[in-house]
Amino acid sequence: MFLINDLITLLAANLILSQALGTSTIFIAAGSRKNLVGTACVITLFTTIGSAAAYLIDAELPASFSDLRLLFYTLIIGILYILLLTAVYYVGRSYFEDFRKYIHVSAFNCAVMGTLFTISKRASMDSSLFELGGYVSAGFEAGIGFIIAALILTVAYRKLNSAKVPAAFRGFPAMLVYLGIISMAVYSLK
Amino acid sequence: MLKKARKERLIWLDIMITLLTLELMSYFYYGIRSVVLAGVCVITAVIAEIVSLRMMKRRFTADDLTCTSDAMILALMFPAVMDYKIAVIAVLFAIIAAKNVFGGRLNMIFSPAAAAYIFVLTSWGHQLLQYTEPHVKTGIFEKPTGLVNSASHTFNMTGNVDHTDFELLLGNFSGPCGSVSILLLVVAAVVLIFRRSISAGAFIGTVFGTGFFACVTPMISSRADSFKYSLVMNMVLFSAIYIVSDIRIAPKRNYYAFFYGLFIGVISYVLVLTMAKENAIVIVSVLFTPIALGFKNLEKRIEKAASEHTSEKDNEASESVTAGKEMTEGE
Amino acid sequence: MNSRKKNLFGGILHDNIVLSGLMVISPVIICGDTLKNAMALIYAFSAITFLSVLISSFVPKKLPYTAKIIIYALISAAVYVPVKLAAEEFYPDSIERIGIYYPLLAVNSLIVFQTEAKFFKMKKLDMMISLIFCIIGFDAVMLLTGFLRELFAYGTINSKIVDVNTLISGLSQPFGGFIFLGLMCGVYRFIRSLVSKDHRQVRSEASVSDK
Repeated sequence: MFLINDLITLLAANLILSQALGTSTIFIAAGSRKNLVGTACVITLFTTIGSAAAYLIDAELPASFSDLRLLFYTLIIGILYILLLTAVYYVGRSYFEDFRKYIHVSAFNCAVMGTLFTISKRASMDSSLFELGGYVSAGFEAGIGFIIAALILTVAYRKLNSAKVPAAFRGFPAMLVYLGIISMAVYSLK
Repeated sequence: MLKKARKERLIWLDIMITLLTLELMSYFYYGIRSVVLAGVCVITAVIAEIVSLRMMKRRFTADDLTCTSDAMILALMFPAVMDYKIAVIAVLFAIIAAKNVFGGRLNMIFSPAAAAYIFVLTSWGHQLLQYTEPHVKTGIFEKPTGLVNSASHTFNMTGNVDHTDFELLLGNFSGPCGSVSILLLVVAAVVLIFRRSISAGAFIGTVFGTGFFACVTPMISSRADSFKYSLVMNMVLFSAIYIVSDIRIAPKRNYYAFFYGLFIGVISYVLVLTMAKENAIVIVSVLFTPIALGFKNLEKRIEKAASEHTSEKDNEASESVTAGKEMTEGE
Repeated sequence: MNSRKKNLFGGILHDNIVLSGLMVISPVIICGDTLKNAMALIYAFSAITFLSVLISSFVPKKLPYTAKIIIYALISAAVYVPVKLAAEEFYPDSIERIGIYYPLLAVNSLIVFQTEAKFFKMKKLDMMISLIFCIIGFDAVMLLTGFLRELFAYGTINSKIVDVNTLISGLSQPFGGFIFLGLMCGVYRFIRSLVSKDHRQVRSEASVSDK
């Protein structure tokens, strides 16, 4: 029972379905089902580690410099981007070529940056959330939400790109309407 | 192909007959207004279907009349006094956005009626969930008065049902105009299952899931009453027949369809129990569309693997026959 | 229209970044529900994108791809600061409403990816013309979305009440944005295919057989 409730809460807090964050990225990745899941997993990595770094920035950055937050967030994502590429290069050179495209797509986008800003905003409104664990778990949850959205899109991939769909709506427009209807169902649960 | 098309039309006919029976009951309780509402929905659906098919450069055939059953399902989920303009917008949404954008009846993803119901719920929720009492007949253009909450709402909030079992069976309680006549719905379910016009697995799964959870974690003190009311209220039976068990949406194999229905039944029950969400089953059925699609993808893979396996076996058999012949010739 | 002209002016109609490329759609979906929000976003997007791409074009081409992407993102994050300070003067109400989508404009795909893939392969003047038309394309979609969604969701035009008797409040919600943009995108492609009279040009590269 609680598990079902948690699942519904996770769905309702999904950043793609409720805030459209990372929609462009999910569509870029929608070129194939493998890309979708790969990108979603790398984004989860970025949101989780990025949230931890965002916590440090939020803790150290004075309120009068809050407009510089974006610059610092961009910097940490940039560092993460390089670290991840380096790590993949040294750990598994054989699949570096395959894997790096996911990292390129996942680094700078609304999904990752939006997650960091959302978590930061929530923490500024509720001080009990302002702790490292809270940031990391929220970042991880956002990533999981992205994976769920990717899976939702993946299962319908064939149908949405089928030759039976009118040419004007085939692909992206049908995906938008599909996500919209799922998002509508999630919204009506609130 | 011809057989498939004929089957499709027969299914539509079966469903329409049961829906018309429910509409008749609705006329008995709410008068001409409910019939006009259904008529408006059906006419709008046909026009929307013809126009959108024309834009897709397809011809309108008898098979495309399935749009009328979607419109009827939607009309029966509305209160009898629903604003006509809202009903028209909802039907347009169902036919265009939830159906034809994805390729129409050849490539269904969502149940059009369920998607449109949620669309109305999110935009005109207050109007959608306010009903007239049974036997209060409103004129065609009359402004409705004396609107009340549904019996489902009262049950969800308080756990009380102020109606006898007989009234429940006949649908003599406030709620959507056509989806509360329990006796008729039971008959419709039996007929449609035996005629194979709905997915038996999905229907049984939904009823079993809801019923089982209603017994395990009852909403009220009596488990029997919890079981009974959980199936009767919140359009559970109606949705289980016409939305969850829609063979265009549910997985083909009864085994998968059962689990699809089971998940929907369980989760919608939990939503009613924890959040008192009225008619949660409709929302959950749309949310579970990706699960249905996942099961369908799995079925396709299994079918593909099975056909490959059969052709491999055939090849092996023919090879051994040829080898046998060659050996005999050699001797 | 030859390919050079298409590259330069296609940003408005033929290759609209929102309707064709599906870039920068999150702000359109979430914040494009009123004309006022649309205006504020148009200002921010136009200023940030134009300045960022212009400054980024001076980044040495020989640098590795990853380094260039990070530098582009840092430049746009730096450009965001003065743009936001100016916005607080001109659109103080909308800043609150647009919230986190304001800084997110700085990491939009047009700046981060299209710069390398499209703009920096052009000559400077061509790049600027193409960029301006891309920005105008976004602005036009944003205005149209803001206008229609505000009209049908709230029954107002730029906060002035007009006579719309059946309001679709869901249109102001994120899901309304998704569905509206999806339908608009389809209509745009339909019109584009009618205009070009060549249905093969409609982006259907992802066509997959059902069998």
